[in-house]
Amino acid sequence: MDMGVGIDVGSTTTKGVLLDSSGNILARSLMTTGASAIQAVEKTLRNISSSSNIDLNDIPVISTGYGRARVELAEKSMTEITCHSVGVHHINPDIRLLIDVGGQDAKAIRIGPSGRPEDFELNDKCSAGTGRFLEVMARVLEVSLDDLGPLALQSKTPSSISSTCTVFAESEVIGHIGAGESAADIAAGVHVSMVSKISALSKRVGVQEPVCATGGVALNPAFRHHLSNQLGVELWIPEDPQLTGALGAAVIALEKKGKKN
Amino acid sequence: MTQERASEEKPYRRLETQALLQQIAFRHGLEAMEASENGSLAWVTSGFPVEIPIAMNLGVVYPEQAGAIIGAQKIGPAVSGYAEDLGYSQELCSYARVSIGSTEKPDEVPMGSLPTPQILLAGNNICGTVLKWYDAISEMTGAPVFLLDTPPIEKQQLPHNQEYVRHGVERLIEFIGSNFNRTLEEDRLREVAELSSRATKLWIRALEACKNKPSPLNCADRFLTMAPVVSSRGTEHCVEFYESLVAEVEERAKQGIGAIRDEKIRLLWDNIPPWHTLRFFNILASRGVVFPADTYTHAWTGNMVGTDTPSIIDEVVETYSKVYLNMGLDAKVDKMCQLIDDYDLDGFVMFSVRSCKRYSLGQLVSKEIVTERTGVPGVIIEGDMVDSRVYNAAQIETRVDALLEMLM
Ligand code: SF4
Repeated sequence: MDMGVGIDVGSTTTKGVLLDSSGNILARSLMTTGASAIQAVEKTLRNISSSSNIDLNDIPVISTGYGRARVELAEKSMTEITCHSVGVHHINPDIRLLIDVGGQDAKAIRIGPSGRPEDFELNDKCSAGTGRFLEVMARVLEVSLDDLGPLALQSKTPSSISSTCTVFAESEVIGHIGAGESAADIAAGVHVSMVSKISALSKRVGVQEPVCATGGVALNPAFRHHLSNQLGVELWIPEDPQLTGALGAAVIALEKKGKKN
Repeated sequence: MTQERASEEKPYRRLETQALLQQIAFRHGLEAMEASENGSLAWVTSGFPVEIPIAMNLGVVYPEQAGAIIGAQKIGPAVSGYAEDLGYSQELCSYARVSIGSTEKPDEVPMGSLPTPQILLAGNNICGTVLKWYDAISEMTGAPVFLLDTPPIEKQQLPHNQEYVRHGVERLIEFIGSNFNRTLEEDRLREVAELSSRATKLWIRALEACKNKPSPLNCADRFLTMAPVVSSRGTEHCVEFYESLVAEVEERAKQGIGAIRDEKIRLLWDNIPPWHTLRFFNILASRGVVFPADTYTHAWTGNMVGTDTPSIIDEVVETYSKVYLNMGLDAKVDKMCQLIDDYDLDGFVMFSVRSCKRYSLGQLVSKEIVTERTGVPGVIIEGDMVDSRVYNAAQIETRVDALLEMLM
């Protein structure tokens, strides 16, 4: 059976997927990218190979993500914009708007009926509206990043945080702490502020349902809650929201293989 | 997009006429130096009715063009730094910053600092920044500033605005007259305007040849060959340059020779180019991407090409009130849509220039409207024409690659 490998070298994590031509994921890998993208790629390939017990030689590889050019044995590299669209389309072909929020960037992608992007907007110049924003605020509130979302969901009256800029919002948060507001309210305010940036990005490409959220931040329940509120839509979240880029790359690798045969 | 092929088998073809450019630039530089020594050099903004100072025998130079040269030499950040050290903000137009920086430390900027001006002629038909910028240069050099104020145009120029600008042009003639003790000969102005119009018409012909497939010129070719129509229009040698450019370009078109070897995708470019990274276009050329049209070089097609106004002064008023940047957003969107249709383009790249708010404002909205009207996708990339510190190649690459993936 034909197979394809997709590798997504992101700024925070490196993801890998091995897919067969019936659409089954045979192996997956997720690890932090760390200081060396090349090492992360090698390790990802080893993980996939050992967990599936399949020799990856002769299986086509497509790379994506910011480090995509670092994957030497890839046949080709494609942008994460195309790969995320194709990956999400593979699992749920109805999705028309994809919102992907990772550690350092956020994207809103309008997916056409063929699964390819039709329009997109990226926020990658500053950390407002990205995972980094939440990370900084979690540190100020002295909670772990994983606990930040659940904490925020306890709040009924989110604190008002008017700035989406990480630096300014941080000082607002410190102000609220000083004023004795509860950590839950502040955490909720942090999410509302961060999500407002993402919803503006999404509206620029057009909010067409059904809408899907992916990327590491999609695992955060408060993010999902507030995003769904601000956009006025239900969100569909794939089982493994961090893997869709790598999955899309694997789908493309298989398509290429199909064309060659 | 990361690598440019090194071999002589370059993906793009060099224009032979480009060799003439150096001669023109050299000659222009010498004339400017001479004019400055004789006490009659004007610094002018790009949208200024330059036919008037030329007809009154002043030498002219364009600080914006000097800025482009500084950008192309990749010394933009260093030269802006001299202005920033004086307290100017990094948010200020980088042409203004490097102009102020190179006036402050001319010895540090051998190619790109201009000879001392005796008069500063600013037109706010391109933006309001130029006035403060020329005021700063005036403080540094002692040269007086003249501002030609041209109220922005939304659709039609109102009669009282036309009258107002006309008055401004008359005051300009008086201002030069009293500063240099000379008068304007109407015949000489007609002659200069005639030469300027001939050069502009040839320039339009060269641009329009790019409707051919493959396109005989790419973006970088046009950015370089536009220099004379900006800085030397109204002179014989400028006309000669464009005669030879048109001959070469039309010959290419006739023989089906493209600016790049393997044209696959045709895109529109919007805004000033990143002078420090013109390589951007060559790298894309190696992937079969050509830019047959752009809004920037097409902005120079509105010069004196003859209107049906009764007098030459009226023509000056009309021409220089209607420059691209003095018109509303609708006019910009119309222009983009028209270029996409006329040149049969597959998509567009909008460069959001951090420095130039006037050109870049409204791009987010324009992008949507242009796609809606033409049905072709576009992408916005961010950076600056001179200040390479705010140009992030990796982020730009991802956006442009994603656009190409949509098209391929
Ligand atoms: S702000 Fe823009 S239009 Fe004004 S001088 Fe600078 S680059 Fe030119």
